[in-house]
Amino acid sequence: MIPAMRPELSEAVGRLRDELSAVRLELEVPGAADARRTRNDLVAQADDYLLPRLSQMDAPVLMVVGGSTGAGKSTLVNSLVGSVVSPAGVLRPTTRAPVLVCHPDDLRWFDGDRILPHVPRETGGAAAPGTLRLVTHEALPAGLALLDAPDIDSVLAENRALANQLLTAADGWLFVTTALRYADAVPWEFLRAARDRGTAMSVVLNRVPADAEREVTSHMSEMMREQNLDADLLVVPEVALEDELIPREALAPVRRWLDGLAADAQARAELIRRTLTGALASLPARAGTVERAVADQLAAAAELRAEVDLAYAAARREVEDALRSGSLLRGEVLARWHDVVGTGDVMRALQSRIGTARDRLKSIITGKPGADEELRVAVEHRLEAVLRAAGERAAERVARAWQERVAGRALLEATPGLDRAGDRLRADTQEQVRAWQAFVMELVRREGEAKRTSARLASLGVNGAGLTVMLGVFASTGGLTGLELVVAGGTSALGQKVLEAIFGDQAVRELAAEARRELIDRADGILRADSARFDALIEGAATEAEGFARLHGAIDAVRRAS
Amino acid sequence: MSRDFDRRLTALAEAVQVADGRLDREAVERAQAVTEKAGARLGLDMETTVVALAGPTGVGKSLLFNTLSGTDFATVGRRRPTTSEGQAAVWGEGGDSLLDWLDVGRRHHVADGALTGLLLLDLPDFDSVETAHRLEVDRVVELADLVVWVVEPQKYADASLHERYLRPLRTHGAAMAVVLNQADLLSQDDVAEWRNDVSRLLARDGLPDMPVLVLSARTGEGLDSLRRLLADRVAARTAAVARLDADVRAAATTLSERFGEGRPAGIQRADRERLVAAFEEAGGVPRVIRAVDEAHRHRGALATGWPFIRWLRRLKPDPLRRLRLPDRAQEGAPQPGRTSLPPPTEVQHAQVATASRGLADGAAGDLAAPWPTLVRNAATKNEERVADRLDRAVGGADLRVTRPRWWTVAGLLQRLLAAAAVVGALWLVVLGILSWLRVDDVIPTPEPGSVPVPTLLLVGGVLAGILLAFLARVANGIGARRRSGKAARSLRRKVEEAAQELVIDPVEQELEAHERLRRLLAEAGART
Repeated sequence: MIPAMRPELSEAVGRLRDELSAVRLELEVPGAADARRTRNDLVAQADDYLLPRLSQMDAPVLMVVGGSTGAGKSTLVNSLVGSVVSPAGVLRPTTRAPVLVCHPDDLRWFDGDRILPHVPRETGGAAAPGTLRLVTHEALPAGLALLDAPDIDSVLAENRALANQLLTAADGWLFVTTALRYADAVPWEFLRAARDRGTAMSVVLNRVPADAEREVTSHMSEMMREQNLDADLLVVPEVALEDELIPREALAPVRRWLDGLAADAQARAELIRRTLTGALASLPARAGTVERAVADQLAAAAELRAEVDLAYAAARREVEDALRSGSLLRGEVLARWHDVVGTGDVMRALQSRIGTARDRLKSIITGKPGADEELRVAVEHRLEAVLRAAGERAAERVARAWQERVAGRALLEATPGLDRAGDRLRADTQEQVRAWQAFVMELVRREGEAKRTSARLASLGVNGAGLTVMLGVFASTGGLTGLELVVAGGTSALGQKVLEAIFGDQAVRELAAEARRELIDRADGILRADSARFDALIEGAATEAEGFARLHGAIDAVRRAS
Repeated sequence: MSRDFDRRLTALAEAVQVADGRLDREAVERAQAVTEKAGARLGLDMETTVVALAGPTGVGKSLLFNTLSGTDFATVGRRRPTTSEGQAAVWGEGGDSLLDWLDVGRRHHVADGALTGLLLLDLPDFDSVETAHRLEVDRVVELADLVVWVVEPQKYADASLHERYLRPLRTHGAAMAVVLNQADLLSQDDVAEWRNDVSRLLARDGLPDMPVLVLSARTGEGLDSLRRLLADRVAARTAAVARLDADVRAAATTLSERFGEGRPAGIQRADRERLVAAFEEAGGVPRVIRAVDEAHRHRGALATGWPFIRWLRRLKPDPLRRLRLPDRAQEGAPQPGRTSLPPPTEVQHAQVATASRGLADGAAGDLAAPWPTLVRNAATKNEERVADRLDRAVGGADLRVTRPRWWTVAGLLQRLLAAAAVVGALWLVVLGILSWLRVDDVIPTPEPGSVPVPTLLLVGGVLAGILLAFLARVANGIGARRRSGKAARSLRRKVEEAAQELVIDPVEQELEAHERLRRLLAEAGART
């Protein structure tokens, strides 16, 4: 009996399979497509072959008959069985539903989802393309099953994918090629892959014309030697078919090979062991290429992220500069400020007070916002304009930088509208500015209560005091030039004097500083939320460092266990 | 045909120019390669038709080449792949320049009346382990006027043929043919079935009308049909143009796939107004308008105010002078230096940027990528120049600040009234001194009515002066409003020009490029 493999091996392979299927390789860095294919192959190999074989070492040998379209795979299988179990014909590709032929006693091994769990089974006569047709035949010895796979190189892409999957699930390959095809590129890719995976293999050189046998056979052997391919070469001459089957004498080499395998349980066990060992041995190296690809993805993701960080840091600086330079104060905000608090100009102050009273009355009657509300709106508009422009510019900068990189370009193409600020930026800004204003009012109220100066605070009103602090945020760092300084200085000087009288000089400065900190924090939050769109994209496409470490651990575990 | 082709080729060449830097670089480069190739091929021997025999290894290309040319130049063998280097047979004289262009070294001349003008190429395979062969095939298939794909019963459904060559060349049905070789290996019925299956596969590739010839190079059966096809193509001398035409159309189609769908909405009125408003704000226009208003009042007060206090006004600077803005400006006059208006703030820059982007997005309408980005880039590309351009616009605007003529009259009148008041006052002072000296009635004081003249002069002069100053102030208020209105209109015109130049023109140019490219691609024969 075949010795069972250690259970921890099965466990390690299972873990590696899970980690492999969990890694994301969606960033289009060079080699990503290959890595995805390798990953899928590995997962399929684990599901279809490694895990079932590791758990049941005494299941029958599954020989997959694979090869090019028109190479005569079906005819070969039919001839070996001695009856037409798989249809053959001149139209390519002939075999669309693979056919598994086994001894009736062995059927139980194949009709469940022990192997090829994702391929539907069919036991009836005709099978839909893509399903596995199970056929039992007494002519085939027990302990050995033949699987007639679809071709590896026809125009049907699903055929090729299925063939690849079936070949991965095999204990051994019976690879069929012809005198016409033996130098084709596609079959050799498969042969090399099988060699790398350590799959036990025999190559059938079919349809060899009598006059070309020596030349072609020697060339083929030479190529196999060059490619380091250790396999039997079985030559079948080109002969006329008898009842759609190859005559016995022509088939003799293949028949001998099959009978030898059928008669000798030891040889079968050896075959299984050889392929399994080869597959396990090739596992770390092949998973290693995926691991390297994951590392590349991590590096690419870091680069993309760095671009995002750079652009949004610049945006943050832009906003901060605008907040500090006092430019928010100019124009409309200043005008509104005049409306609320009045100016140093006595006449204007008088006009303004009358105006304010009138406005209040109006706002009570008509429900329109009063002057302080208008000031808030003005501040809000300004902040919003600054934040939006910064956000737009940052998004454009990221888009431009990403455009230069293959991975970034693919992400941009997949997600339209990335090169502009997100939809939420505007709403976020409004919300945050309002929240900030509420915060400042609350700050002033708290400070006022602490100082027990509510009577004097009342002279300015919490609203007025709050607004003064808000403007102090923009004005107290200076940065105003020329006339503006005079006007702004004059206006806020009045308010500030009152404030200082209420809270004290130091406290006002602290209030303004705290309010500014809060505002910058909130602006930061808004930009962060906008840049999160990019981060989410990267995250969705590339595995993070943790997944990489887990994959690395899983590969190590397989290496140690085998 | 040829004139149509010329038009299409020209359109494609122009489209390449417009698309460069706008559409996908790869597609543009491919289209450019097509125009270059067409130029090269058209400059060479158009009397000769280049036909390439291409196919997988072992289908009998070389045997077919030998049979057609009646030679045994091509090596025929069992060992795969057999042919590793292309070779050419030329029927008749000439074709040397073409062969140089095709870069085929091994050449043979064949004399044959019916096929004179045929240049037949035997190519290596494209599906063997030798990748160099595949590259050679790719190169020559790109250049040949007619490509004859040779297949045989085992290899007719290979992905390497259908997916790598036929499907990408599905626009080239007119420049290709399929030969089903080694028909002698199959029975009559199987041949018919095979032929049907090939037609089915070709239809699936998008080549339903491609000629399919069944023959056997070994037995010579069916060879005449191929000879006839070649003779027809050679005699017509249109294969080269047909091939290039297919190339041009395919390149145009690829470009037009990258071009995207949708129609631009054009620049929206509201967006344009928002942009101009943002520009005005950034350029300090409200400020200038206010200065015009204030300047008029200021100057009016100086000219028509009550003389006894108007000197106080002189202590304040003239609002327009302070901004270093000229009252009047001639169209096209050299610009004075920078104004003293403050440069736009970050906020104003931000508002301009937002308005520009809004305008671009609105103008792009439902255009597909990459156009919204292109239009946006056009709208924001002059961002850096906004401040300077606005300063020039505002500084160069004709504010139309004029001095009203009545100011002179009013000024004179004020002076007269002031003089009267002074005279009255002096008179009264003299009278007072005289009365203090008790020398009354030395100078007679006329008293028309009941009020003495000096009192009348003083009180009347003062009251009339103040009244006049008040009236003038009201009038100047009206004048200031009118003038600031005029200045606003003039400034708006200038600022609109700046907005037009910096934002709207680039956006319109981009939209024009879009329209032009759309037209050119349609003209170049893009299938949509």
